[in-house]
Formats: sequence, C-alpha cells, structure tokens
Amino acid sequence: MKKIISTLKAPAAIGPYSQAVEANGILFVSGQIPINPDTGKLIEGGIAEQTHQVLRNVGAILNDAGYSFKDVVKSTCLLGDMADFKAMNEVYSVYYPEKQPARAAYAVKGLPMGAMIEIETIAVK
Amino acid sequence: MKRSLIIIAALVLFVSFTFDTGNQEKKTVRRVITLDNTPVKRPYSPAIEVNNTLYVSGQIAVDQATGKLVEGKIGEQTLQVLKNLKSVIEKAGYSMENVVKCTVLLSDIAFYSTVNQIYMEFFPKDPPARMAFAVKDLPMGALIEIDAIAAR
Repeated sequence: MKKIISTLKAPAAIGPYSQAVEANGILFVSGQIPINPDTGKLIEGGIAEQTHQVLRNVGAILNDAGYSFKDVVKSTCLLGDMADFKAMNEVYSVYYPEKQPARAAYAVKGLPMGAMIEIETIAVK
Repeated sequence: MKRSLIIIAALVLFVSFTFDTGNQEKKTVRRVITLDNTPVKRPYSPAIEVNNTLYVSGQIAVDQATGKLVEGKIGEQTLQVLKNLKSVIEKAGYSMENVVKCTVLLSDIAFYSTVNQIYMEFFPKDPPARMAFAVKDLPMGALIEIDAIAAR
C-alpha cells in the first residue's frame, strides 16, 4: 500500500507530485530544490547554501516519514553546473558522513525555479 | 522419549526464529559494498544493499588501476563503464542478470545507438528497465554514466 508523505517542515510541492511516497518499506522522496519552506521561495546564496537547504528539506521529509539520513540508499544529485561538483560534495558529506548511499551526479540543462541543485532520494527501512 | 525431544527442539527453534525475525523487522541490515581501490574521501559508496536489493552508484569510465578516464571515444568508455558496473555488482555477490533498472546518462544523445550495441552484450537476455537521456555535463568530463538497481 502506498502512503503519501506531507509535511509543512519541507517546501510544498510546486507541481503535481507528493513530497514523498512510501510503499513496502521504501520511501521515494521527490527531487528537492533549495526552497525555504516558510517563504516558498528559493533561498539566497551560492551552491553551498543551496545544497544545505536541499538537504535540510530532504531531512525534514525523511523525518516526517519516520526515516533518517542513515536509511538513505540512493541519491541522485542534479547540478546546474558541473563546476559546483566539489562544493556540493563538501556539504553533502556533512549529512552523509559514513556508510554513504549509492549516488549518481550530473549536470543538467535546467532545473525548476532556476535552482543550482536538485537531489532525489530513496530510503529503505 | 525421542519424539518429545524432537518436539521440544522444534519448539525452541521456532521460538528463537520468531524472536530473530522480530529483531530484523526493527533493524534492516544495510551492507556497504566497496572495491579494494575505492577512494576513501568520496561522499558515496559504490553500492548499498538492503533487503536483497542492490543500489549501484553511477559509474563512469574510470580505469580502476589508474583512477583516470580511459582513453578513447564513446565505444571504449561504454565498455569500461559496463565493466565497472559489473565488477561492483559481482563484488556484492549479484550478477548482471539481477539488474532490474538502469539509468544511462549521455553527454550527447548522438551516442545512443553506439551505446546500445555495447550495452546489449552485457544484457543479452531480458534486459532491465531503463531510462536514457543526454545531460549537460558528467563528472570528470565523462561521455557516459550508468547507474543500476539489482534485486534477487
């Protein structure tokens, strides 16, 4: 059975998707961009600030669903510019210090709202 | 006498098995798969296994011996990517036949048919579900990246 996750602690969806959906102990978290959940707007700042906000949003959704960063098995990091790879990795390591999830990372042509980064997440409990 | 001993033994086994299962429900076993030459300072694992499902990180055409991208064009890179994918999958005790889903990222959609020809050699029968598209850029300037999910 699928369960829809919805929390005010993470940005509301900006389109026809749920923040996350859980089924059979697997949580599929929608791609998060650096929106401040209080204002609904992209935060100010460069790739480091944006990566922090994205991962705070991911954390809020994981938490609301009863999961944590330790349960994450796979991330997909979409960047607006491959040159941000290193700076993104540094912030990413703060949230995933050990037993890191599998990951794919690449630069895309454009991201919603002109974000510099989007991260999609799968967690398993 | 022998019969009742067997029944008691069976009961003990049953109880301990139930107890174990209860414990497992609380704590999913999470296995990190690393290769001998996986760089330590990298914020992702080559693969993670939970509940008989293996999540494999996106692989690029890095030569495991040198740590650098292989020389050559899309053909050589695709071959190396698939070899890398296979070695992570096999290190985890899985096989290419266990792969259920791949994502193929290309730096140029013109590579599509060349990639498919090589890809087919690694998945000759009942190939996995797949998504393939061109992106703006890949790490290290790679031409191709492939990630995978395997299950058994």
